[in-house]
Formats: sequence, C-alpha cells, structure tokens
Amino acid sequence: MISVTNLSKKIGDVQALNQLSFSAQDGKITGLLGPNGAGKTTCLRTLFGLLTPDEGHTEVDGINVAEQPVAAKQQLGLFPDPFGLYERLTPREYIQYFAELSGMSRKDAKKATQDVIEQLHLNDISERRCKGFSQGQRMKTALAQAIVHQPTNIILDEPTRGLDVMSTRLLRDILLDLKARGHCVLFSSHVMQEVAALCDHVIVMANGQVVATGSPEELCQQTGETSLEEAFIKLIGTDEGIAA
Amino acid sequence: MNKLIAMVRKELIDAARDKRSVMAGLYYAIGTPLLMCGMFMVLIGQLTSPEDLNITIQKAQNAPDLVRYLGNKGINAVDPDSAEKGPDIKDIDIKDITLIISDDYAENMAKAKPAEVILQADNSNEKLQKSIQRLKRELQAYNAEMGSLRLIARGVNPQVMQSIKVNVQDQATPDSRGGMILGIAIFTMIYSVFISGMNLAIDTSAGERERNSLALMLSHPISTRQLVLGKVIAVTTFALLGLILILLISKVAYAFVPWQELGFSINISTDFMALMFAIGIPVALLASTLQLFVSFMAKTFKEAQSYLTMVLFVPLALSMAASYNIAPDALQWLPVSGQQQALMDFIKGKDIPMMQLAVSSAATIIISIALMLGLEKMLKSEKVVFGL
Amino acid sequence: MVNRKLVSKALTMQRRKPTVYSTRWAMILCVLLSPFGNINASLASDTNTISAEKTTVINSQAKTSPCYLDGMAEQLQCGQITVAENPAKPDGTQIDIHFAILPAIKNTHPNEALLAIAGGPGQSAVEHAAGFDRLLSKVRQQRDILLIDQRGTGQSNILNCEDSSVTSTLAFDDESIDMIAETQKCLDQTTADITQYGSETALTDFEAVRTYLGYNKLHLYGVSYGTRMAQLYMRHYPEALATVTIDGVVPMQQSVLAIGSAIERGFQLLIRDCENNTACQQQFPELLADFTKVNERLAKSPVTEKVKDPLTNEPSTFLLTRSKFVGAVRMALYTPAVRALLPHAIHQAANEDYQAILGIYALSADGVGLAMGMHASVVCGEDIHRITEQMRKDAKESYVSANMIDGLEQTCEVWKMPPVDDDFSQPINSDLPTLLLSGELDPATPPNWAALAKKQMTNAKHLISPFATHGVAAQTCANDLIADLVNSNSVKDIDASCLEKDIRRSFYLNANTVEPQLAQAAPSTDDDAASQNATGTDKE
Repeated sequence: MISVTNLSKKIGDVQALNQLSFSAQDGKITGLLGPNGAGKTTCLRTLFGLLTPDEGHTEVDGINVAEQPVAAKQQLGLFPDPFGLYERLTPREYIQYFAELSGMSRKDAKKATQDVIEQLHLNDISERRCKGFSQGQRMKTALAQAIVHQPTNIILDEPTRGLDVMSTRLLRDILLDLKARGHCVLFSSHVMQEVAALCDHVIVMANGQVVATGSPEELCQQTGETSLEEAFIKLIGTDEGIAA
Repeated sequence: MNKLIAMVRKELIDAARDKRSVMAGLYYAIGTPLLMCGMFMVLIGQLTSPEDLNITIQKAQNAPDLVRYLGNKGINAVDPDSAEKGPDIKDIDIKDITLIISDDYAENMAKAKPAEVILQADNSNEKLQKSIQRLKRELQAYNAEMGSLRLIARGVNPQVMQSIKVNVQDQATPDSRGGMILGIAIFTMIYSVFISGMNLAIDTSAGERERNSLALMLSHPISTRQLVLGKVIAVTTFALLGLILILLISKVAYAFVPWQELGFSINISTDFMALMFAIGIPVALLASTLQLFVSFMAKTFKEAQSYLTMVLFVPLALSMAASYNIAPDALQWLPVSGQQQALMDFIKGKDIPMMQLAVSSAATIIISIALMLGLEKMLKSEKVVFGL
Repeated sequence: MVNRKLVSKALTMQRRKPTVYSTRWAMILCVLLSPFGNINASLASDTNTISAEKTTVINSQAKTSPCYLDGMAEQLQCGQITVAENPAKPDGTQIDIHFAILPAIKNTHPNEALLAIAGGPGQSAVEHAAGFDRLLSKVRQQRDILLIDQRGTGQSNILNCEDSSVTSTLAFDDESIDMIAETQKCLDQTTADITQYGSETALTDFEAVRTYLGYNKLHLYGVSYGTRMAQLYMRHYPEALATVTIDGVVPMQQSVLAIGSAIERGFQLLIRDCENNTACQQQFPELLADFTKVNERLAKSPVTEKVKDPLTNEPSTFLLTRSKFVGAVRMALYTPAVRALLPHAIHQAANEDYQAILGIYALSADGVGLAMGMHASVVCGEDIHRITEQMRKDAKESYVSANMIDGLEQTCEVWKMPPVDDDFSQPINSDLPTLLLSGELDPATPPNWAALAKKQMTNAKHLISPFATHGVAAQTCANDLIADLVNSNSVKDIDASCLEKDIRRSFYLNANTVEPQLAQAAPSTDDDAASQNATGTDKE
C-alpha cells in the first residue's frame, strides 16, 4: 500500500506538488492520470525519496520514506521512464544486478532472475546485450527488473509510452497478473485508454493537485460524461469543473 | 556488503565491455612505455657518436700523423671526391663535420708556432654535438701529447703543465644517472593511474546519469554511501589494473633500450614494481574520487571530459615538477609529488624519505575521503541526481 | 634527507696515503712493465699519475663498499678479503687482499666478471683502474670489471723498498750502485715472508676473491707479466674461466729474462722504421751510427751536464751513464708517441745535446710504479734459475739485459726464493677460448713469445698488430676484439682486420714537429698524393 499525504514541492519557481494526497491499495491497479507537467513524475520521485518534499510525507506499507528510505524502498519496484538500461549488459545480468541491489543474495537473485525471465518470455534475448533492443524488448527487461524481487508495490512511470499493440497488451496482462497476486500497482499515464482498460482506481492530477479520484465509471458519473476522456478534459479543463 | 560486491562487479563488467574505457586505459598503459622506449632508442642512436665517426678532412696530406692519430681513435677521414666515385662508400654515414688542415700546418709546426686546423660544423645540430665534442676532445688530446713531447725534447718533464690535479668524485650512483629518464618513466606510471580510470569514472557518473540509470539505482534500497563506495572501488580497481599493466610493459620494454650507451642503466626491478604498486593505491584512490567528484558536478559526459582535463592538470603538474629537480622542497610533502619523489629516491638507490612519503600518502587518503564524503552529500541532492 | 647527509659525510672520511714506490734502482731491474703507469701516464696532461686515493665506508655486512679511485669520477665498489700469508699455515700471519669492482653499466651477466691483471711484476691493478676502464669500456657495458691488487702490490701488503738516501736521481751513478747492499736494506725493512709472494700463491688469492664475490665465471685479461698469472689461472682453475685474453705474452716455457733479445729486436725495428721513412731517413741518415757513437762515448766515461731539473727547474747536475742512456731508450720503445721522439733524441745526443734524453730519462726516473720487493719475489723464484746459456749469450749483445741479469742475480742472492718446480715451465694445455695479442714493435714480449705460449692451446687465436708496441689492447682496436671474445665466448668470429689500420706515429724531425714540409719531402708527391699521405709518408 502506498499513501501520500499533503505533499508539497517547489522546483525552481514552479509549485510542482501542492498539498497532494492519495493512496493506492494492495490488490488494485491505481492510475495516476494527468496532463504533461501535472506533477506525476515529481510525485513518484518523491515516493522513492529521490526528491525531498517541502511539506507532507509519503508512506510505503506504513513505512515513512523520509525516515527509513532503505526499508521503504525494499518494498518498492520501479519501472522507470526512461528505462535506464545498461546497454553493455545482458537482460539476465541487468535483472540480477538490480535483484541484488534490492537486497537478495546472489543465489536467490539468480533464481529470481531465471523465474522472471521465464515469466516474461525473455528467454530468447536474455543473453544478448541490451544495445539494439526494440522498445518492446526494453520494456520487458525494465519490467522484469521492477518485479524480480517481488515487491509488494510496483510503480510504473508512463509504462506504455512508445509501445506497440502487442507489447501494450503484454504489459497489460502482466499488470493484471500482478494485481491478481495481490500487489499494489501504481502507474502514471496520460493515455486515457490504458487507464480506462486497467485501472480499478484513478487519481486525476493537475497542477500538482488531485482534482478527482475514483473508478473510471465513478469519474464518468461525476462529470456526467460517457467516456473517460471527456470526463478527464472536463476535470482538468476549467476551474469550474474542479469546483463542481 | 553483498550490494557493494554486486555493484563493483557490475561496474567492472560494464567497463570491461566498454571499448572506449578499456582502450583509453590500454592504449596508454601499453603505448606509453613502448613509445618512450622507441623514442629513446632513436634518440640514443642519434645522440651517441657512432663507433666509427666518418668526417671530411680537407688537405689531409698536410698532417698525416694527425689523420692517423684520429683514425686510431675511430675518427676516419673520408675523402669528399672519392665518395662520389665508389658506390659502396656512399652507404657510409658521413657526418657533416669538416676538418680543414691549413697549408702552412707543417711549416708552423716545425717552428713550434701554432699550426692551424679549422673545424667546420653546425654546433646547434643536436645530432652532431657528441661527435663534434669527440673530435674536439681527440684534437685536444693530440695537442696535449705533442706539447708533452716538445717539452720532453727540451728536457722538461711534461708534468709541469699539470699544476693542479682535479679528481672528481661524483656522488651519483649508476641508477641516479638515469634519474631524469626515470623521473619521466615514473611520471608516466603515475599518470597511468589517472588515465586508466578516467573514462570509467565519467561513464559511471555523468554517463550513468545521462542514461537515466542513476535515478533507477538510487530508487533501490541502497545508501548513497554504498553507491559512492561501489563506484570508487570500481574506478580505483581499473586505475590499478592500468598501473599493473604499465609496470609489466615497462619492465619488458625498458630492458630493450640500450641505455648503457648513455652510460647508465634503467632497470624496472620487481622491488620497484611492488613499491610503485603499493604507493599507487592511495594515488589511485585520489584519482578515482577526484574524477568521480568532478564528473558528477558536470551536467553531461562531454562537460565532464573537459572539466577533468582541466582538473587533472593539478596532479600532473605536481608529478611533473617533482620529476625534474626544479621543485621546491614543499612538494615532498604534497600528494602525488611526494610519492613521486619517494619513488625517484628509491630508484636512485637513496633512502626513501619515509616521513614525507607517510605525510603525502596520508594527505592523499584524507583528500580522497573528503571527496567521498562530498560525493555522498552530492548524491543526496536532487540537483545532482537529475542534473537540474 | 638526514640519511643522505650522513652517507656523504662518511664517504669523505678515511683517505689513504698514496703508495710510495722505490725509485732509484727500479729502472735497471724492472723486467716487463705494462702499458699503464710508466711513461704513458705523464704524456697527456689530463691523465693522472699513479697514486691511488681510495675512500671507503666501513660496512661490515656488504662485501664491498663505495669508493673512489684515482682518475675516475664515478663511485666504484672496493673491498678486501683476509687470507693467510702462507697458505700452508692458515693460522699464521694474515694479510688483506684488496680489490675493486668497476660495476657493469647494464649488468646482463651478474655471474660473470672480467678480471684484469696488471703487469710488472709489481704493478697495482686497482691503481690503474682508470686505464683499465678506458681499455675495457665495451666489456664493462654488460659485465663487471674486477681488479685485484696482487699480494705484495698496491694496497695488498705491498712489498716495496723505500729509498734511504736522498741523492737526486739525476746526479746519482747507477752503475756504481751496490745491488746487494740495497737489496739487503730493502729486505731489512720488511717483516713479510718474502717467499710467499710468488705467482702461484697469489693465484690462490685471485680464486678466493672470485668465490668470495660469487662470480661463476671469469673472463681474464692479462697484460705483460699479467699474462703469466692468466696462464697459471688457465692451468689451475680452468673451470672458473670463460675466456682468456693475454696481451704481450710471456710464455710459461721461458724465463722473462730472455727479454734481452727482445729489447735488441725492438731497437733494430726502430732503426729499420726510421730508415724506411723518407722524412726520418733524410733527417737522421746515420741513426745507428749516432747511437753507437753515444754508447761508445758513455762507455768511456759518463757525461756530466749542468741542467735545470726537468720538474722543478732548479739548477742540477745530470750524470748520464751508458746504463741511464740505454735504459731511457729502452723505456721510450714501450710507448709509440715517445718512441717517435727517439731518432731526434739519439741524433741530438750524438751531437752532445742531451736535453731530449734528459727529458725521456726524467719520465721514468720518478719510478715506474713497481713494488720492487714483490717484483724480486717473482723473478727470483720463477725466472732467475731458468737463465739459459743462449740467454747469457744474447745478453752479451744487449747492454741493457746484461746489466739487468747481473743486477738481478745479485738481488736474488739476498732475496732468497725457492725456485719453482720444473712443471711450472710446462706449456699451457687448454681448450678455453683464448686470444693472444702481440705487437710487432714490442721491445719486451715479441710475437714469437706468444706463438710459443700458444703451442698447446687448442682453441686459441694469435693476433699480431703490425704497429703496436707492448700492450696491444691499449694502442689499437684490440680492446674491441676483447669485447667481441667476451660476448661470443669464441675466438672463431673475431675479425682482426681493424688491426691492419695504419696507426703509425710519424717520427719527430726536430724538437717540434712530426709533419714533414711537403716541399722538402720530395719523392712521393705525385698523382695519388692524398691517399698515399693518408697512410703515411713512409715507403716500404
């Protein structure tokens, strides 16, 4: 479970986060929806302790990130944007390396790496260096890295960006599978269809603030629109919409 | 600890597969000693006077005894006219030195007046200097011998010409005579520590950030101290590998140079290699922390490269100054130059100045630790991590 | 810092007194000499006289300690071992054998060294380090040069006779000297057991130094009397040797006192050379007659001249005896440059101008750098009893050698040495790579001596330099050939063609010049003048 309470952060002159609060539950897929510059990435970085909030705090499984960063991060898996692959390593080496960084012993890391490679059907590329991988292969490698140590919480930053249909579908299956196994999945996106298709719970962000929360259906109802896209535009479009 | 090992292992695998890092280190470690040896082989060939020094003597018939005397000392007269005739004579290396014996040579000599010979050569030509000096020396010796014989013929003991006898006692040892070249050799070795790890240092810091994997690493449950240590150890290891390589290559390569023709020997002994390695450890630590620190400060790979080139000038200048004996004494106590001086003293067969070595090594380590603490602090700053 | 200062301070301590040599009667008795240390040394103004100043640091652990030797700027290594004076009495008197190492520039063969053995008998090898260094510089590029003061010479318990009287060497009458009394005086001065200073005992010291320093193999270079030591080394310790070079060879088969005919031969070659040389022949057409004239004049009675002392310029009396005259001529024959002055000096003497002879005499009157006691121990034990009838006959022809044999026989009456066994005179039987060097003009050890020594050497090469006198390596390119031998361990590939290079010195035509003025040097100024002159104005 991830919870964010009253988070404020100013980057330069911009108020990137403004009293942001939300939570994401285990066994659910939570989508963080917002236009570019809404503060999604800043929010996620704060969750990992990479940024220090000016106000408020974040908790992972009840552990305060600012106070116990290592313990908190132990419970997190990150699918970053961009992926941050090491081009000269093979997926197997790459995944195992991060498994070990997440605190697994070498032996366990090896086994977990093998498991995740099978799970994500990476066998055919697992011994090739990442240089020259297609976007889908990169995505799978990055995802494998995020879940290899079986964290309770998995955070994905714009996971579908640049993916083709097949890869998107694969990603979707994996996320649903993770959800089914009781993980807390939090992902940020600005793509409506993804959020609509996957999320149990949607947090709509604009200007560093939460403008609405709820299931896609609830959001539609809230705004009186039939599609989430229309609802989304309405939600972030005008000040009146927010007030309503 | 596991995480640290995993990190170092990954960095080394990554670096080993990075052609640019490896080549930079390899080219330097292999190339420099070979280049230096090649250069010195050519230099020695040019600087030393050939065993048979062939010069042009004009009007040799005016002083046959002098010509034969020079011939016995290996200075041969080649007739300029006959050189055009015989094809085999053309192959002989004739130095551009001309000795002209004056027409009144015999006449003046018979009257005990100075008999004139003219030595024509370009004294600014470095390649000729040894040969010119040698010719002058032999002419001087001939002059002295004739003078002695003239005195003997007059019933005077030629010893009267030697009013004082200068006995030079040169305090140099065979090893210290090669001190200048050894200074340069040690300099290249210390430099290798800085060069070998440099690309890795940039790649693993500025490069890592540019590839967005730095934030990913920091998103994992590791402390910044672990991250700094991991990178420092990896870069230091790489630097030391470069040092070992240059030591091994130097040991082999330097043995091929005919140093003895310059009157000294240069021998990279196993003892020296061990000492160089031991002293190299703190220097490598300094090199890696300094390079990581500077690269993290830079925003991009390119920027890091240009910063480093500037920053590295400082230890280089220290090392360089210590290798030419122009340095003020204070340099003995400073990092890098202190170690360089100690190494030079060792190779010159002097006692190692333990105090200075200890102080400079300690200073090196302290600076390294300070830089590491600085790095740790730096990596907690979002500006550095995201390159803002 | 601190350490360095201490070291340099220590280095300047411990100066030794230079060796003092007997002077007055040395010239009559000395048999061989070597190319160093006699008149050569005083010719060139930059070389040094024959005193050694050794500075050492006492260091009990190291086998050697840094030292400086006369005429060499660089730091060398010196050391000593203690041996029994009489090897048969190991607990008896102990003496120190001093040695010096000229370290290899680049020591590629740390288990080898070249041992250079000095002449005399009686010369110190260590004192002539600078000369050996010049000679052997090529060998030294890769191997240590080892110099040992043979027992009785140099710093190794020198057996020398200091002059008691203060008579000037110019004025004293060497022909009236009482050799027996002088020798007795010398014997009384020493406490050493003189019978222990022969060659074979000294050889055990050489071998002891070799094992002490840990050299597996030695290359030998022996010159003059040193060739006897080298041959003994070949006989007794062949397994310790790699190569041998003997220069100015004294064969084991004969006494050095056979030198009489060699001296005579050397002089005849001088006469021949002058006759064959256009300029010399023109200037001194009656050279042999001139020589005979002086000899006969002096045989009647010595000449007394008022002169300025050659060194101090003080007014002095110069008593020129026949013995001093022929002795001076003999000494001059050793050194090519001084030899070149002889025709002029003899011609002037014939005209009753003795300045040049005085000058030549003064060169060696200072003493020839020999330890005369050790010299006597060698000659009296190894040579005096081997004088043959033929040698006595030859000696009658040569005033010098007759004088020498007489003097030595008297000396040896006092300086009693047990004669060496007959085995001593056996030729050397060896398959070691051996290079024998002879100078055609040698007034001491002519080429046929080396030929005799080579008889039973199966792996030897004998090279004769047509222009060298005594000590070929110092005068010619033969020193390079030694380096070739040492490096290749074989005499097969030694290319001796460089010895043919014309290195003759022209004769002095007056007190100033060696070069004839072309206008006067008539016949050979035709078409090929340049090349003709480049190889000398001589006609064969």
